[in-house]
Amino acid sequence: MKEFLKGNYKLKTVIKEPVVSDTSSTDEFEKQALSRLGGSICFVSKKGFLWKGEDGKTDGPRETDR
Amino acid sequence: MDLGKRIASQLEAATFERIAGVGLENAAVNRPKIERSILELGDVALGDGDSAVVVGAGPSLHRRDSLARLRKSGYTGTVVAVDGALGSCLRAGVVPHLVVSVDPHRERIVRWFGDPAMTAAPADDYFRRQEMDPAQAQDEVAANRALIGLVNAHGPQMRAAVATSAAPAVVARCEAAGIAMYWWNPMYDDYDKPDSVSRRLHRTNGLPCLNGGGNVGTAAWVITHAVLGKRRIGLVGIDFGYPPGTPYERTQYYPELREMFGDRYAEAFIPVDSPFVGERWFTDPAYYWFRTVFLDMAREADAETVNCTEGGVLHGDSVPLLPLEDFLAKADRRE
Repeated sequence: MKEFLKGNYKLKTVIKEPVVSDTSSTDEFEKQALSRLGGSICFVSKKGFLWKGEDGKTDGPRETDR
Repeated sequence: MDLGKRIASQLEAATFERIAGVGLENAAVNRPKIERSILELGDVALGDGDSAVVVGAGPSLHRRDSLARLRKSGYTGTVVAVDGALGSCLRAGVVPHLVVSVDPHRERIVRWFGDPAMTAAPADDYFRRQEMDPAQAQDEVAANRALIGLVNAHGPQMRAAVATSAAPAVVARCEAAGIAMYWWNPMYDDYDKPDSVSRRLHRTNGLPCLNGGGNVGTAAWVITHAVLGKRRIGLVGIDFGYPPGTPYERTQYYPELREMFGDRYAEAFIPVDSPFVGERWFTDPAYYWFRTVFLDMAREADAETVNCTEGGVLHGDSVPLLPLEDFLAKADRRE
């Protein structure tokens, strides 16, 4: 903001600029950009190939409320 | 670390950001359509013996004429194809026992099954740019019309392993073509965590969660050994890379890399030697990640996997290279 306020006068009020973290905005940009490069399905490390549920006995779709 | 490999190392988290939202939305829309779990496929006879060929849609499929050779061999084992390879399979006279679809993209993916709603070439240049099905890159309208006919003709002979994340248009298309659907959830995250998305999704529909390895080709391979119980698997068309000479602008993630890195986009590509054909292929960060994950997963699998693509970048201790005919002959002897 300060760069737009130039003149032959002095402000009595101190202008407080919002604090913008370069790190967080860069991180957010990277996160957004990277998400466009990802795959069509997730990969979850060290969790095996197939998870059938808590009891491991699921052998079909649960009754739905359709 | 090279730029491409550095990006690749971050894609596990990035993929969740990319697809979890729309995947879960699609799961809610698809829920009334769910009648069968993918686990039921374990009791269905799909092909002879304990071997299978998993068909991806990489450029080697056409370069090596893999499907015509598969058909000529008279192979009677199981054939599992990714959705992007379905058109190539049917045009080559190979009707897969199972076709796998997972990508949640709402508009694009139905094209792999023939999109009845398409009347003109779309503004989206995805199918003109992609390397997966050359037929779809030419006269898009005519290719789409022909594919609709092929899928309709063979639909009742096939089954589909459909992720709950799949686009509702794909589900409608499978229904219309008479393709029986067997459902599964993509594993989104660690199901042991208390706030796990995977666990929550499983609770809503009771379906198993499958670790997909980042892409539909790897998911198809996981289904083949972890669900169908196949113990010897040959891969064709699973390249995770591009042949030498492929223009960068005809690669999967070119627009995104160009946007991210401007004129430096080429630095994100990674060269990988393909020893079978003695060529230097190249890959992008996403495909490099798929490759790394696949090689790791193959070490843990209770199945022998060989790469019969005769090209591509997927090779290592856990996935040795083998000519397609050698795999098929070996499978024949054991059947």
